[in-house]
Amino acid sequence: MEPEELTELALAAAVEAGAGYTDVRWVRQETEGLTVTDDRVDDLEAEDSSGLGVRVLVDGRWGFAASAVLDPGRAGELARRAVEVARASAAAGGEPVRLAPAEPAVAGWATPVGRDPFAVPLAERVELLLAACDAQRSVAGLAHAKATVDLWRRRTVLWSSEGARLDQTVTQTGAGIEAVAVGDGDLQQRSWPNSFRGQYQAGGWEVVEAAELVANAPRVAAEAVQLLAAPQLPERVTTVILDGQQLSLQVHESVGHPLELDRILGMEAAYAGTSFVTPGDRGRLRYGSPAMSVTADATTPGGLGTFGFDDEGVPAQRSPLVVDGVVAGFLTSRETSADGTGSSGAMRADGWGSMPLIRMTNVHLEPGQGTLDELVADTRDGLLLSLNRSWSIDDRRVNFQFGVEAAWEIKGGRLGRLYRNASYDGRTTEFWGSLDAVCGPEAWVVWGVPNCGKGQPFQNARVGHGAAPARFRNVHVGVGR
Amino acid sequence: MTAMGSERLLEIAEEAIGAGGADDAEALVYRQAGGLTRFASSRIHQSAWREDLWVRVRVVVDGNRVGTATVHSADPEMVRATARRAAEVARAMPPDPGYPGMPGPATYPAAGRHDQATAAADPATRAGLVAGVIGRLPAGVAAAGACETRELEIALANTRGVRAAGATTAASFSILADAGSGTGWAEGTEPALADLDVAALGERAARKAVDSRDPRELPPGSYPVVLEPNAASVLVQWLGWLGFGAKAYDEGRSFLVGRLGRRVCSPLVTIVDDATAADTIGVGFDFEGVPKRRVTLIDRGVAASLVYDFRAATGHGVEPTGHGLPAPSAEGALPMHLAMLPGQTPQADLVAGLERGLLVTRFHYTNLVNLMGTTITGMTRDGTFWVEDGRVVGAVRNLRFTQSILDALASVRAVGAETEMAAEDGYGAARAPALAIDRFAFSSATTF
Repeated sequence: MEPEELTELALAAAVEAGAGYTDVRWVRQETEGLTVTDDRVDDLEAEDSSGLGVRVLVDGRWGFAASAVLDPGRAGELARRAVEVARASAAAGGEPVRLAPAEPAVAGWATPVGRDPFAVPLAERVELLLAACDAQRSVAGLAHAKATVDLWRRRTVLWSSEGARLDQTVTQTGAGIEAVAVGDGDLQQRSWPNSFRGQYQAGGWEVVEAAELVANAPRVAAEAVQLLAAPQLPERVTTVILDGQQLSLQVHESVGHPLELDRILGMEAAYAGTSFVTPGDRGRLRYGSPAMSVTADATTPGGLGTFGFDDEGVPAQRSPLVVDGVVAGFLTSRETSADGTGSSGAMRADGWGSMPLIRMTNVHLEPGQGTLDELVADTRDGLLLSLNRSWSIDDRRVNFQFGVEAAWEIKGGRLGRLYRNASYDGRTTEFWGSLDAVCGPEAWVVWGVPNCGKGQPFQNARVGHGAAPARFRNVHVGVGR
Repeated sequence: MTAMGSERLLEIAEEAIGAGGADDAEALVYRQAGGLTRFASSRIHQSAWREDLWVRVRVVVDGNRVGTATVHSADPEMVRATARRAAEVARAMPPDPGYPGMPGPATYPAAGRHDQATAAADPATRAGLVAGVIGRLPAGVAAAGACETRELEIALANTRGVRAAGATTAASFSILADAGSGTGWAEGTEPALADLDVAALGERAARKAVDSRDPRELPPGSYPVVLEPNAASVLVQWLGWLGFGAKAYDEGRSFLVGRLGRRVCSPLVTIVDDATAADTIGVGFDFEGVPKRRVTLIDRGVAASLVYDFRAATGHGVEPTGHGLPAPSAEGALPMHLAMLPGQTPQADLVAGLERGLLVTRFHYTNLVNLMGTTITGMTRDGTFWVEDGRVVGAVRNLRFTQSILDALASVRAVGAETEMAAEDGYGAARAPALAIDRFAFSSATTF
């Protein structure tokens, strides 16, 4: 049965069962993950997941039902079950849900793709990763070399009772290498282009080619070995420059999540947590220094949060979150913006089986000016911190601590010795208030974060963050060993 | 939309491996169905039901070329197409000289518990439990949380004759009570919904929230602590991920390298992995069809054993322990039914025995800092209290810890007599007692 037939059947059954607003999503998600360790294929996962999810409002209560088992008649059963779920939700009382108006769209959309990554022969992918591992293993002292390629494609057919008829296909690709050095009771790792399986972007095989895995492999492996012999970063307060990769996660954890309006309103309190930001902080709260401007933009080419429409059918948008250091907006949904502000188009589900939640799209720190070399040259004393190794932040997004793979000392505007086990910690608004320089557009890259967790049942979102290296003053570094 | 049953799942698995032309073939069929009712600000704001079924096929050609493919469908044609896809993948892969073959038939231990009432729990049942707890909250206290019921069915067949099938159920209820300037937490996870005392969980969370009001600031530093079972289970889960698998050990990325057979923590600490325990959630075989065995990982403070999947066991010349993930796996074997064994001290007496220190309800957003040192970081939340002379004297603002797990377990002074299972949503579960620990390092503080 075609997706449009299933969605139409479910939509009709939901309305017949008493649903008010209804949206039905048929989703097919294909993934292929390949891992080569040293000289052998360590893992290959090829997965094809399709299913139908029905979301209804009945008397102002949400109900949702979804299944991958699409027997004849199942679309109608799911719709009726969603209505049953919604009716039961009235038991605890409370205000009914209202939705901000949205123009129902009838459209199609697809990620621009250079070379279809799924059409790249498996043997070619394996050959590339074996070559990337070989190039790492040419460095003496390396314990293990790893190389990965991940392909991801999702087609969504979304129909709503308001008349939305959408069909969009998002394609994303990732690749990376990880060099591991082991000795004297320690383990050090260096990655490229990013940690945790590399760089992910919307697009095709061209994302893998741009990563230049083989060319970077000897340098990355050599740095892993050097880290093993490097001294532990001492504890102190100093100036730090975060590279774009680490900065993207700093933005993610300490700016993107706190400005999700469902967190601000307490809807995620029990699991992911809330936010120190309040609904009245828009236009008032000083979040950071005047050098800080943050934008949510679901239209950025290459971003993991780039799409045509969100999972409520709201068109992709670009909207300011922080302007010159002051809060300017939130990430919102139709439900949380029914006060007349309108949805920012940030409702996303992690597949057919999940209700959409407010998620980051692409949340960027806007660029400033200059190159990383110029920023280092402009720094008398400090550290350059590179690639994330660990992250943690409290449930209101105030106190954070990050670990990085490598830290280089900066003395007199030049990079110096390498430190291992580097970490830094702080509090969100104090930290962003200490931002005094952001590199320019030539150093600005849209980094992919493919593993953002939120919600119950747990959902995984793929989001993007444009970031260029940036400098922060008076940062506490060197916690933990 | 009820259980499919072992016979039907095995039929699907046999369909997948029956195509022929392969040296070895294996099919894993996994079905999970259930509902989750979420509440926040004392109203149900999200409620969902979901059924998933996937079939993962592993095919071996030319003796040692291995391919896999997975489809989320029970449709016979799609399952057969997935088997063909796995064979295509296998033909495109380089030979794997270390391919160990597949396990053969075995007898499986009884494990897990399938409770029909839990499998059949409807949204009205979950909503009624939530409404009941919310209705009993004291004035000025709001609540958020979730009530979940689910059923898991799993079957595995391979061309060496393995035919394994099992089913289990799980129910959980979690509640965060918010009393304004203080929050409290309680959760329970059991194989059967009827075994959860949700009213008691609601009362416990509300009491903690009220007691947490107006927290005072405490400077970071090293303090004696009592970790309640929920917080202690986080240490157990992290330790499980950090190196008990034989592959991780062989690759040098295990904290146990150089420590196996040695004392690594207090003799009061024993940690096992046991899918056959009556109070855990699982089935009697792993994702390769190997019987699950009880393994003592830390025996009275001594690092005792690794866990093995079929490949690592073959390489080491030992019996696999039944901890294999779907093969081939870059991770290798993992302990997935962890439990720290209870001690002799009633939980209430752990606090009574604390002269000056902290009582911690729960941790938040823990993450690895240093693998070999077993150092993790994370925050306290939803009930952090200062204790003097064996009595809670007030709440303190939440603190960040940065602490070696092994060092913490080395300074365990007493182990609670009662255990609870805590499940970090999406990240597995572990059963643990409360722990009294002499030194626990808090590295910074937050503002609430």
